[in-house]
Amino acid sequence: MTEVTLSNIVKFYGKHQALHGINLDISDGEFVVLVGPSGCGKSTTLRMIAGLEDISGGEIAIGGRVVNDLPPRDRNISMVFQNYALYPHMTVRENLGFSLKIAKMDAAEIAKAADEAAGILGLEELMDRKPAELSGGQRQRVAMGRAIVRHPDVFLFDEPLSNLDAKLRTQMRVEIKKLHQKVGNTIIYVTHDQIEAMTLADRIVLMKDGHIVQVGTPLELFNTPVNTFVATFIGSPPMNLIDGVVSGSSTIQLADGLSVPVPASAQGQVHNGQRVKFGFRADNLMPYGHAVEEEGERADLELTVTLTEPLGTETVLFTDLAGTEVQGKMLNPRPVRPGEVLKFRLMLDKCHVFDAATSDAIRG
Amino acid sequence: MDRNQSYRNHKRLMKALHFSGLFIVMSIICIPGLWIVLNSFRPTVEIMAKPPVWIPTFTLDHYRAMFGGAGEGGVPVFSYFRNSMIVSVVSTAIAILIGMSGGYAFARYRFKGKNGYFVGLMLFRAVPGVALSLPLFIVFARVGIIDTHIGLILAYVAMNVPFTVWLTDGFFRQIPKELHEAAEIDGCTRWQAFWQVEFPVAKSGVASAAIFAFLTSWNEFALASQLTRSVGSKTMPVGLLDFTAEFTINWGGMCALAVLMIVPALILTFLVQKHLIAGLTFGGVKG
Amino acid sequence: MTRRRLPEWFLLLLPAIIVIAAVVLIPLIFSLYSSFTPYKLTRPSTLWKWVGTYNYEKILTDAKFWAAFGRTVLFLTIALNLEMLLGLGIALMVNKVTWGQRTLRTIIMFPMMFSPILVGFQFKFIFNDNIGLVNNALQSMGFNVALPWLVDGKLAMFSIAFAEIWMSTSVFAILILAGLFAIPRDPLEAAKVDGCTPFQSFRHITLPFLMPFIYIAMTIRSLDVARAYDIVQIMTGGGPARRTELLWTLMSRTGYVDARMGLANAMGYVSIILSVVFTIYFFRKLTAARAQIGMEG
Repeated sequence: MTEVTLSNIVKFYGKHQALHGINLDISDGEFVVLVGPSGCGKSTTLRMIAGLEDISGGEIAIGGRVVNDLPPRDRNISMVFQNYALYPHMTVRENLGFSLKIAKMDAAEIAKAADEAAGILGLEELMDRKPAELSGGQRQRVAMGRAIVRHPDVFLFDEPLSNLDAKLRTQMRVEIKKLHQKVGNTIIYVTHDQIEAMTLADRIVLMKDGHIVQVGTPLELFNTPVNTFVATFIGSPPMNLIDGVVSGSSTIQLADGLSVPVPASAQGQVHNGQRVKFGFRADNLMPYGHAVEEEGERADLELTVTLTEPLGTETVLFTDLAGTEVQGKMLNPRPVRPGEVLKFRLMLDKCHVFDAATSDAIRG
Repeated sequence: MDRNQSYRNHKRLMKALHFSGLFIVMSIICIPGLWIVLNSFRPTVEIMAKPPVWIPTFTLDHYRAMFGGAGEGGVPVFSYFRNSMIVSVVSTAIAILIGMSGGYAFARYRFKGKNGYFVGLMLFRAVPGVALSLPLFIVFARVGIIDTHIGLILAYVAMNVPFTVWLTDGFFRQIPKELHEAAEIDGCTRWQAFWQVEFPVAKSGVASAAIFAFLTSWNEFALASQLTRSVGSKTMPVGLLDFTAEFTINWGGMCALAVLMIVPALILTFLVQKHLIAGLTFGGVKG
Repeated sequence: MTRRRLPEWFLLLLPAIIVIAAVVLIPLIFSLYSSFTPYKLTRPSTLWKWVGTYNYEKILTDAKFWAAFGRTVLFLTIALNLEMLLGLGIALMVNKVTWGQRTLRTIIMFPMMFSPILVGFQFKFIFNDNIGLVNNALQSMGFNVALPWLVDGKLAMFSIAFAEIWMSTSVFAILILAGLFAIPRDPLEAAKVDGCTPFQSFRHITLPFLMPFIYIAMTIRSLDVARAYDIVQIMTGGGPARRTELLWTLMSRTGYVDARMGLANAMGYVSIILSVVFTIYFFRKLTAARAQIGMEG
């Protein structure tokens, strides 16, 4: 059983504190994605688990064993690097077998293990090539093969797809997910791309400035963000946020004399005069006739479209609501000209309220 | 039409200038060396002839005399060659090991005053050989290693280490640090990671640093001329002086020894020229 | 847990530091000490007599020393600048060539592998007034002269400078050529489209980009400017009548021929300071030039 436990992990670079007490329990076989903007400490956390960075404070345990001062080789982990870090002077076969050679396994066993890994990743044809003769996607696969060949307790991925082009990235994403289903090991995966996080993770750990902001399944983060940072980081396009003031106990006054009712989830949690941010996703602002959900509370608005982004299955519509640029979505798109006035429907029970001062979600 | 014509003429003129410029430069570079080679095969009478003889006759006399050891003033060329080889090879091997370790430190570790250390190290290389030879002579005489291979080897190691550090620093810097991290995760110790991964990748660069060090030792004169005295330790650059007497110089014999000196250097340099340039431009005071 | 250990980087640097301390630093300290004594090799007891700054005063008031010092600085300035300009010229010419570039580059590297002492002999031979190639060629072309290349003061200085430049220009040419190969094409093409003349794009794009490479070459050169000693020692030995005397030949004559070690070591320190100043100056320029084009890692 290989749980990974981080207790109160702290990292200092000189005087600068990069991590402020990270606590995280990862269970056996779980696919956890650390995601956040650059500089949030996600890579540092991963490299500390790998043993490539010193731990300034706290404790890391892998499979119940504290590994704080163990060198990487004694942690039984493997890692896929952003730039693959394939050994340029070795063939694919030698790259795959290197860790086993270091472990002094005999040649026949190494060959067998390398062939097995190659089989899983479809590398059979490339075994005698050097990394320089491989394409980006093939290198990526070799890097993954090198990681699985020794059956480690934990896989670590450090932004493994960021050097690939968009099409290949989607393809490799699927392969990584399939790999996880096949081998079932614990995976800790770092990325700055929220789509990768959403599609791959059993659980997402969203980080910012050396803190964990929210931990949860992709849908939890998408549907119940704990603050405006999560709301705008997860999901594309980001959640629309409009400044407003609570008036009475059940109305939010937006600019331009517009007002909306306090969503059911926040009822009773707000007080008169409280400054808030009113948030909703583009999926919940749709022109008439395009809204799929007919039940639930809703508000009708007449808005002028300023810009359109047709994506094929849907079109993102840019418009102004209470002086703020917001985005809505049109399913079953038809051509829309800028300046056209459309009747929109806002799904009120899917809306969020955040405290303007703390940015935290207000939820019952 | 006219403007096109004048541009075309201009272009043609530039091309002619370019070509003749290159030709002159290449001639100036090549002729002195070729002249030495040519004269090593000419009999002394012909070299000294007045008026000059331009059609050369071919003879191996100088080489025969040189390796025979007796004829041309009995210069023991073979011993000099052997001394040069021993001193250069051993000092290069040691300098590479020491320099590589230093270069690795500069390329892979962050520490306070790194640039200071680096420049400081280089400054020791900048000490003129002549200025160093005076005190080194006295110190070595005290220790009793004057006129020995060991003394000269030590001096050359110290002379070559700074520049080897510069070059290897440059080569290791070009290797992504993830490579040794990957090796460590694959089960290597830092030591294994270096010898299994980083060293093989930097191998050609290290080889060119080695050849640079070898050439420096092979060609050095100022220190060798003071630290060696006898046939048992004199190197070839010092041995060249044996061909000069008070008022006469045995030009032919000297040319032959010069050819003997230049051939190994020539071969080695051509082997590594590409890496050498890369190492020089990447290393030094960065990061 | 907090046992103090030497950091790894220091352990890795330690062998280098030890060997340099033993072979360079200790002799230098010894020579610094002896430069305050009237030490003569022939009379060892003189090593223990302290004369303070006597040797330094002596050389600082010695016209012969100042002449050699001035000549050395002048020689270096002229030689380094000419080498740089010629190297730049050669690199630009070779860069324009469309075929055989590798061969040309190999030829340019040729002088780099010559021992300085060999270069000295080579040009001593070529500039020999009696049987040298230059005079022979001049005579065969009908000029009935035998120019005293190594005997006349001015001509001797020229010959020495020629040898020095022949030997060292290739360092500049090779490194500048490497710089030219590394120049990104986009800015040059953008400049062409923006209407720059070839000279303007050279002045404003190529040259700034080449500066770090030029300074690398300068730094490498300044590390062993004293190589010129070998050449001069062989070609003229500082003569005739000290007209080609450089700091280094004067020092070696004082130390080895006159056996006045104390005095020679004082001169040695002046020459060391000269080299150090050159090196630091170019290192600084190198760092600055690198920063300017964003090459610093």
